Amino acid sequence: MKKVSVIGAGNVGATAVYHIARLNLAEVVVVDVVEGLPQAKAMDFAHTAPGRGFGVSVKGTNDYADIEASDVVVMTAGIARKPGMDRMDLLKTNVNIAKSAAQAIAKYAPDSIVIAVTNPLDVIAMVMLRETKFPWQRVVGMAGVLDSTRFRYFIAEQLDVWPGDVEAMVLGGHGDSMVPLTSFASVGGFPIQELMDAETIERLVERTRKGGGEIVNYLKSGSAYYAPGASAARMVEAVLRGESALIPASAHLDGQYGYKNIFLGVPVRLGSGGIEEVLDLELSSEEKAALDKSAAAVEEGVKTLESIYTPG
Amino acid sequence: MAGISIVGSGNVGASTAFFVAETSAVDVTLCDIREGISTGKTLDMMEAAPLRKYRSKLRGADSIDAIKDSEVVIVAVGEVRKPGNDRQSLFAENSKIVSQIARDVARLAPKSVVIMATEPVDATTALFVRESKFERNRVLGIGGALDSARLRYVISRELSLSAENISAMVIGTHTHEMIGLPEYSRVSGVPLTQLMSSDETQRLIDEVRSSGDEIVRLAGRTSSYYAPGAVIAEVVDAIVGDLKRIFSLSVVLDGEYGVKDGAASLPMIVGRGGAVKVLEPKLGAEDKKRFVSSAQAVKASVAAGGSK
Repeated sequence: MKKVSVIGAGNVGATAVYHIARLNLAEVVVVDVVEGLPQAKAMDFAHTAPGRGFGVSVKGTNDYADIEASDVVVMTAGIARKPGMDRMDLLKTNVNIAKSAAQAIAKYAPDSIVIAVTNPLDVIAMVMLRETKFPWQRVVGMAGVLDSTRFRYFIAEQLDVWPGDVEAMVLGGHGDSMVPLTSFASVGGFPIQELMDAETIERLVERTRKGGGEIVNYLKSGSAYYAPGASAARMVEAVLRGESALIPASAHLDGQYGYKNIFLGVPVRLGSGGIEEVLDLELSSEEKAALDKSAAAVEEGVKTLESIYTPG
Repeated sequence: MAGISIVGSGNVGASTAFFVAETSAVDVTLCDIREGISTGKTLDMMEAAPLRKYRSKLRGADSIDAIKDSEVVIVAVGEVRKPGNDRQSLFAENSKIVSQIARDVARLAPKSVVIMATEPVDATTALFVRESKFERNRVLGIGGALDSARLRYVISRELSLSAENISAMVIGTHTHEMIGLPEYSRVSGVPLTQLMSSDETQRLIDEVRSSGDEIVRLAGRTSSYYAPGAVIAEVVDAIVGDLKRIFSLSVVLDGEYGVKDGAASLPMIVGRGGAVKVLEPKLGAEDKKRFVSSAQAVKASVAAGGSK
C-alpha cells in the first residue's frame, strides 16, 4: 500500500485528505503541530468511510516521524491569507514553517514527491526544494491546477455548459500576475473565441486572476479550501496512478521558457516520478509577455526571500 | 417522468442498461419482444446492486407498452453488422422495425428524448424523426460521440496520457466518410496540433474510421457494444441531469452547412429535452464537401428505403 502524508490539518489539508482517502490508492497520514487537531479530523473522516466508500486508513498525528516512507507529501501548513493581506505578507511566517517541514521530509521520507500548496506558493516551493535538497523533479507546486479549475468553472458558468467539458490552462506565478491562456481554453474542443466575445473573455480572465481574493472577501476570515484541496488531491492522484498527466504546475525552471532559478507555473507531465517533462508549448507573443511579467513578480518574491532566508 | 427505457435487449441495449446504472440515479426499463430476456438481464444486474451501490431500479418487460411516459427512450433494436457487411446495407433490414418503434414511441412516450443506436444510425435517426414527427432536437443518434470516444482513446494511447482530459471531435456520418477535426481536439486545452504531427493525427483518425469494422472482424459474430453503451449512458446522464454537456451526435440537419434533412453528427449542447443548441465547427473546403455529400447520401437512402 502506498502512503501519502499531508502536512497541516487546516481546511486545505483536511479537504485534501478527504479527496485523497477517497481515491483508495494510499493510506493517509495528516500531521499538524496543534495537539489533537489532526487526530480529530482523521477520526471524523474515518467515520464517513462506510458511506463514502473508502477503505484506506487515515491517521492523525503530531509527530513528523509518522510520515516515514511516504510516497507523496503534500505541504499545506502555514497561516492563511486574511482580507486585505497580500500573499507576500505571509512570507516570513510561512517560510519558517516550510523549513521545518522540509527538514522533516528529507529525514523521514527521503524518496517522496513533495507537492507544495502553502502560499506564497512559488516561494514556499523554493524553500522546500532547498531544504529537502531533492532533485527538482520531486518538488512541485500546486497552483496551476487550482487557477485553471477556477478559469474552467467561470467559462462553464458563463456559457451554461458542463464544467467537465471545459479545458483551460493557467500559467505563471500564483498571484495577480498569473497568466490564463485564452488560446488554450476550449469547450468540447471549441476555442472559447468561437463561443464568446473578447470582452467577456477578458472579464473571466480578470476574475480568475482575483479568484482567490474573491473567496477571501466573501469569507471575511479565512480563505478558499474546497477547490485548493481538490486540486492538491488531483496532483496526488496523477502521481499515484503514474498518469503522466498534462497539467499546469509550478516547477523549478532551468532555462525553460527563458527563466532560470525560479518556480513558475508551466505545463508539465506529472507522473510517478514527479515532473517527467516540462512541455515547451508555443505561446502567443502577448501570452509570453504576460508570462515574463509574472516571472518578474515571482523573482521579486525570491529576492524578498533571500533577504530573510538563512539555510537551515 | 417515469425513468428511461431501452428498446432492444441485445448487447447494446443490455450494455447501455448496465452503464446507466453505473452512472446515473435513474430507473431503467429494458424491453424486448423476446420473452424473458429483458427480465433475466436486468435481474442479473440488480443482483449486483448491493456491491455496485446502484441508485436506480432496473426492470425488464416483454412489451413496448412498458416504455410509457419515459423521459428518454433508447432504440437499440434490429440487426447488427456481420463481417464483410457494411452499415448501409443494414438499412433495408432495420428500417421497418425502426418505423414501427417510432410510431409506438410517439404514442406511448410523446414527450421523450430518443437516442438512436440502431444502424445505420444517421438514416435511422432521420427515419425516426419522419415517422414519429418529433422535433429534430429530441432524436439524437449515437454516431460522432462514439467515434470521438474512440479517437480520444487512440490519442491517449499514442501520447501515453490518460483519456480523461482529452477532447476529440469527429463529425459527419457514422460511416467511412466520418470527419475527424484535429483543430477541435485538445489535451488539457492544448491544441492537438501542438502535440503531434498532422500525419500522425491523420493516421489515428483513419484507425478510428475502421475500428468499428475491426471489432466486427475480431469478434466474428457481434459488433461493438461496450463503448456504445458507455457513450449512450453519458448522453442519458446529460439529459436527465440537464448537464448541458457537449457531444457530437447525429441529428436531422436544418440548414447546417447548407443541408436540409438527411442526418449527420454535429457537436451540440445536450441537456433536459435533448439538444439545446447545435454547434457548427469551422470546416475546411474538403471536409465541408465530404460532410454535405455524406449527409445527402443519408437523405437519399431514407427517401428511397424508408417508406417500405
